[in-house]
Amino acid sequence: MLWIKNVTVIDPGQGVSGVNDVLVQKDKIVEVGPSFKAKEVLVKLGVTDINEVNQIDGDGKYLFPGLIDVHVHLREPGQEDKEDIASGSRAAIRGGFTSIMAMANTFPIVDQRAVVEFIKLQARRAGMARVYPISAVTKGFKGQELVEMMDIKDGGAVGFSDDGKGIQNAEIMRLALEYVKLTGCPIISHCEDEALASKGVMRRGRTSARLGLPGIPASSESVMVARDILLAAETGGKLHIAHVSTKESVEMIRWAKGKGIDLSAEVNPHHLIFTDEDITLTDTSYKVNPPLPSREDQEALLEGIIDGTIDMLATDHAPHTWEEKARPFQEAPFGINGLETSLAAVWQKLVQSGKLTPEKLVECWSLNPAQRFGIEGGTLKPGSLADMVLFDPLYKEEISTEAMESKSGNTPFLKKELQGFPVITWVEGRMLMKNRKII
Amino acid sequence: MKWKPKDLLDLDNLTTEEIEHILQTAKPMREILSRPIKKLPTLRGKSVVLLFYESSTRTRTSFESAAKILGADTTNFTVAQSSITKGESLLDTAKTIQAMNVDLVVVRHSSSGAADFLADTLKASVINGGDGQHAHPTQALLDLFTIQERIGDIKGKKVVIVGDIIHSRVARSNAIGLQKMGADVTLVGPPTLLPTEMSYLGIKLSHDLDKELPGADVVMALRLQLERQQSGLFPSIREYSKLYGLSVDRIKKTGKQTIVMHPGPMNRGVEIASDLADSVQSVIEKQVTNGVAIRMALIYLLIGGGTGNVVD
Ligand SMILES: [Zn+2]
Repeated sequence: MLWIKNVTVIDPGQGVSGVNDVLVQKDKIVEVGPSFKAKEVLVKLGVTDINEVNQIDGDGKYLFPGLIDVHVHLREPGQEDKEDIASGSRAAIRGGFTSIMAMANTFPIVDQRAVVEFIKLQARRAGMARVYPISAVTKGFKGQELVEMMDIKDGGAVGFSDDGKGIQNAEIMRLALEYVKLTGCPIISHCEDEALASKGVMRRGRTSARLGLPGIPASSESVMVARDILLAAETGGKLHIAHVSTKESVEMIRWAKGKGIDLSAEVNPHHLIFTDEDITLTDTSYKVNPPLPSREDQEALLEGIIDGTIDMLATDHAPHTWEEKARPFQEAPFGINGLETSLAAVWQKLVQSGKLTPEKLVECWSLNPAQRFGIEGGTLKPGSLADMVLFDPLYKEEISTEAMESKSGNTPFLKKELQGFPVITWVEGRMLMKNRKII
Repeated sequence: MKWKPKDLLDLDNLTTEEIEHILQTAKPMREILSRPIKKLPTLRGKSVVLLFYESSTRTRTSFESAAKILGADTTNFTVAQSSITKGESLLDTAKTIQAMNVDLVVVRHSSSGAADFLADTLKASVINGGDGQHAHPTQALLDLFTIQERIGDIKGKKVVIVGDIIHSRVARSNAIGLQKMGADVTLVGPPTLLPTEMSYLGIKLSHDLDKELPGADVVMALRLQLERQQSGLFPSIREYSKLYGLSVDRIKKTGKQTIVMHPGPMNRGVEIASDLADSVQSVIEKQVTNGVAIRMALIYLLIGGGTGNVVD
C-alpha cells in the first residue's frame, strides 16, 4: 500500500497536470486527487492502521506513468557481451522505463514463436521492466518470406520489424502490410534504402564532406517513408515508422495523417539533441543509424512532435561494447546506448529550455506508445497498473559506466553531467529502483 | 619559432605560421638530398614505425628514405586489409606499437579518422600518411613546397584542382593548405565527383574546366579511380578525359607558363596526357623529390626538436 503526497502528477491520459496525492493498492492505482487526509486514505485503501501505508513525500517532484520505450535492442539471445535481457531491463528501470519493446535483430533472429517465448521468459526471470518482443517481418531478415505472424503474435509479440535493416523489396513490404492485418499489430518500418545509404557512416552534407566520411543522403530514409506510406494507404495495414530523422519524412507523415492513413511515428532523443555538426572523427559514440540529422531536420522533427505528426519518443537503445566502438569512426558499429540517459537528456535539453512541455513528454513516451501498441500502462487512471516514475527535476548526475546498469557505455553523455532523473520506479506497484539504484 | 604540435594529422589544425615553418625547414633538407652522401646523425637512436594498411610503395618509401637519411631506425608494419577486418584491431596494433616504445608512427589507412584515432591512443607522435577520404597533409605540404620552389610566393596565385574531388584526401588537404597560404583555389569536376556539399571549404566549385583555366598559375590533376565508372559516377573514361583530362593543348588556355601537378600514380591518357606529363611544365618528378624533403622536415620537427642544427 502506497500514498504519494504532494507530487506533481503529469498524466495526459486523464487530463491531470498538477499537485496531487496518489494512492496505490497492490499492483493498481486506486486514486489520484488533491491532498487526501489520513482518514480518507484509510477508507480508500481499506486499512485500519496508517502504518500499513508506505508514505512518500513527492514535494518538488513529478510523478509520471511509467515510460514505455517502443524501440530497444537487448542483444539477447546471441550478443550477451553487449547487453542481455536482465541488464537491459534493469537499465530500463533505472532510466524510468517500465515497459520496453525488444527488437528482433538478435542471434538467432526473433522470427519464430519459440524465440519470442524465450524473451518473455528471460524478462520474467529478470523481474524488472516488462519486455514486449517485436518479431521479424521476414524469416532471417532476408526480406523474402513472411514469418508466421499469427503464431508469433499468440506467443506474445506486439509488432513486426526487420529493424536494423530496411525491407528493400516493395512487394514484400506490401504483402507484410496486408498480412499483418490478421494480427492487428503494426509493422514497424526501419526506412533505409540500401543503395542510397551505401557505405555511408554519417549524414551526407557539409560536415561529412569536411571529415571525408562517406555520407548517407537524407533521401535514403525519405524515399522509403514515402513508399511505405503509399503501401499502407493501399493495403490499410497498420504502419509505424521507426526513428524518423529527416524533414522530408516529417512532411510526408504529416500529409499521410491528413489523409487518414493508419500510421504512427517515433523520433529518437539523440536526433533531437545532436546534429551532424557535433560529429568528430574520434568520438564514435555519435555514430548512429539513421545518422545524426542536419539542423534543419532537427527543427522539423521537433515541430513534428509539437503538432502531433510524430507520436512517440523512443530511445533506439543500441548497446555496443567498448572494444567495438574503440575503432576509427568509419569502422565502428552504429548505435547509441539510450535507456539510462534519454529521459534526463530530453528533460535538460528540451523541457528545461521550454521546447517541450512535461505533458507532451509523457504523452509521447508513455500514453501514445501504450495506445498504439495496445499494451498496458500509459496512464495513472484508477484501476490501471501502478507503473510509475517519481522524477526529480533537480537531481544531477555525471554519467558513468560504473553507475550504469547497461553492460555497455556507448553514449555521447559519458562523463558529462545531466540534470533531471527518475529517483523511484515502480512496476505493478513494486518499487524496483530507489535513489538511482536498483533494489 | 618553437614547434609545438605532437602530431601531423591534417592542415586545418595548423596555423599559417606553422605551415611556413615546415616549408622553411624543408629547404635545407632539399639541399641535403642533392648531396652525394645523404646521411645525417640527427635522429640516431630514434625509431619510426611505418604502419601501412593500404599498399602505397611510393608514399612508404618516401617516408622510409626521409627517416633513414635523418639517421632514424624504421620498422615496416604492412597490413593487408580486407573489407571485413578479421585480423588484429587498430587499437591492439596501437597497443603493440606503444609497447615497443617508438617515437613516431606514420599511418596510412583506408578509413577516414584512422590517424586521429591513433594519435588519440598513442604517446608517440603520429604523421597521417593518408586516411580514407579525409586528409593527406604531407602530400599537400610537398605540393605547397613545389609551387613555392617553382613560382615563388603562393599568395594570390590561381590554383585549379581538377578531378574526383569528393573522394580525394589530396584535394581536401591541398585546398585547406593553399587557402591558408593565400592562394585563389578553384575545384573542378563533374557534379557526381564534386557535389555541392564541398562548399564547406568556402571556395569556388566549378564543373567546367575550360572556363576555369584562363589565368591559372597551377593546375593539379587528381588520380581517377577507374572502378568508379562501374558504380555510375561517370559514364566513361572517354567522356571523362574529354571533359576533365589535361593535355598540352588544353593547358594553353591558361595563357601562362602554368605548372602542372599530379600526386601520382598517373593514369596516362585519362586525367593527364603523356605529352603534358613529360613536358617542361610538369613538376611531377619534382613533387616526388620534394616529398622526401618535406617528410624529413616533419620527422625532424616532430621527434628531433631541440637537437640543434639539422645541417652541419
Ligand atoms: Zn532501425
